[in-house]
Amino acid sequence: MSRLELTVESGQVFGFLGSNGAGKTTTLKMACGLVMPTTGTVRLNGYDVGKQRGQAMRQIGAVLEGTRNVYWRMSAWQNLLYFGRIKGVSSTKMLKARAEQLLRELDLWERRKDPVGEFSRGMQQKVAIAAALIADPPIVLLDEPTLGLDVHASRTVQEWIIQLAEERGKTVVLTTHQLDMAESLCDRVAIMSHGRLLAHRPTGELLDLFRREFYQLRLRGMVEAEESGAFPGFTASRENGHTVLAGEVGGELSVFELVERARAAGMDLISVSPAEPNLEEIFVELIERAEETGGQDGGLELEAGGRPAGTEGRG
Amino acid sequence: MVLTGTVLLNECQKRLIIMWSYRFNFMLETFMMGFLFVGISFFVSGGRPEPEQMAPALLGYLTWFFAAFAISDMSQGIREETQTGTLEQMYMSPLPSGLLLAGRSVASIFISSGMVILIGGILMLVLGIRIPLRPEGVPVFALTLVGLYGFAFFLGGATLVFKQVNALSNLLSNMLLFLNGSFLTVERMPGWLEAFARSLPSTQGIDVLRRVVLDDLSLASVWQDGSLVWLTVHTAVFLFAGWGVFLWGERVARRRGLLGQY
Repeated sequence: MSRLELTVESGQVFGFLGSNGAGKTTTLKMACGLVMPTTGTVRLNGYDVGKQRGQAMRQIGAVLEGTRNVYWRMSAWQNLLYFGRIKGVSSTKMLKARAEQLLRELDLWERRKDPVGEFSRGMQQKVAIAAALIADPPIVLLDEPTLGLDVHASRTVQEWIIQLAEERGKTVVLTTHQLDMAESLCDRVAIMSHGRLLAHRPTGELLDLFRREFYQLRLRGMVEAEESGAFPGFTASRENGHTVLAGEVGGELSVFELVERARAAGMDLISVSPAEPNLEEIFVELIERAEETGGQDGGLELEAGGRPAGTEGRG
Repeated sequence: MVLTGTVLLNECQKRLIIMWSYRFNFMLETFMMGFLFVGISFFVSGGRPEPEQMAPALLGYLTWFFAAFAISDMSQGIREETQTGTLEQMYMSPLPSGLLLAGRSVASIFISSGMVILIGGILMLVLGIRIPLRPEGVPVFALTLVGLYGFAFFLGGATLVFKQVNALSNLLSNMLLFLNGSFLTVERMPGWLEAFARSLPSTQGIDVLRRVVLDDLSLASVWQDGSLVWLTVHTAVFLFAGWGVFLWGERVARRRGLLGQY
């Protein structure tokens, strides 16, 4: 990781996006105190993970990717009581009440006495999430929370993430490869590549930014390759017997110029509209830009701000 | 104090639950341990084991069992928990990791004590071996155990960084069985091997334990002849060195992100 500086505001769902090796999990593990940055600090609700470890750890609950997180030989109930105690919940009465509440909410109450190893992958993930929340931490860190889950289980987990943020005011920081999930869940996303932060903006703002730059021209009939050469950098596709040219508008090429060129080429123009980008396109675009510039500059300035209520890293 | 008690009970409870889920394996292992003792005793005594001669061997063997359990717990246990991710969850606890690990160690001692009482009791009954219960043996045994866990922490720290120390742990565990004086007298070993055997954890403890429990010597006499002093020094070295290596392992694992990798 290098020159990572960001703040997550409380009550937000914040997503880290990036390809394998981008540094998403490492960033999350730094927030968990499992990986110590060589320089800089990580603060959780103002507590320095390195220097105020006990207080900092009380702020988080985490489910890390690719691991079981809980003991498979123990039941869901036993796991919750065990992790509740090591997370510092001293009152047994309070702990049991909390465990019951979580298991009921996650539809696991009826099977609370069964060993977690006998559960489906989705149920195991629910137990891991419940264990992360047993001490009622204000910040929840989830590494690839829906990886390997079937559609139904994935949807349940996603609904729960939204509920955590919206109804309980938790700050949820997650990493994901599933860009559609990030788009629907996250208030704000950070796109990472090779240990660098390429973009860090509210999801809607990031989509708007690209929406302004990309346009689609819908043309009647099939447009030959040489004709579409009048629009360098644009991609052509067929749709319901029409041709759709899509590309970036900016610099010398304005929307007006685009229309003029189409008319000059004798094309039958049906419509011109801003393209509706999705996070996947933005992600690919930013990664390509980063690779072109050797990972030095992703083309978007970093943004830091808001209350220091989530994670703040610099490593 | 309440916190320490809670952590200890929590760890004991977890260990018992997990052990119960492996109860069939556990029963087989217990049987195998008993059978191993009978087999080795039979072999070492040239086919004519006498109960009087077997008492020192059994005392050493049972002490070795604690060593094997501690080593397995700290190296294999940590390696498994690294793979499953539960070690990372432990390190995300607001409680000090030292307290949690101490809780784990005490839980491990309780569990292994239960197994030792079971194996030792059965062997004593079946083979007619008599080991007197002398209160003077308690501090000697406690010192031996602390040294053993110091050694186990040493291996635990190495496991955090190098991961594949399982083969080394198994080797050390078996080496201890044959070099700690349980079956083969250390004094009869070649000089270099005797020196090596005496430097291992549990050898000195077993020696002093035998003299106090079986030969009826007082703590004052083993202190005066220097053997208890040497055991104390030995234990202190293993404890501090082991704890130091463990802290080093933790620091390196945190720096390199190895707590959840294998």
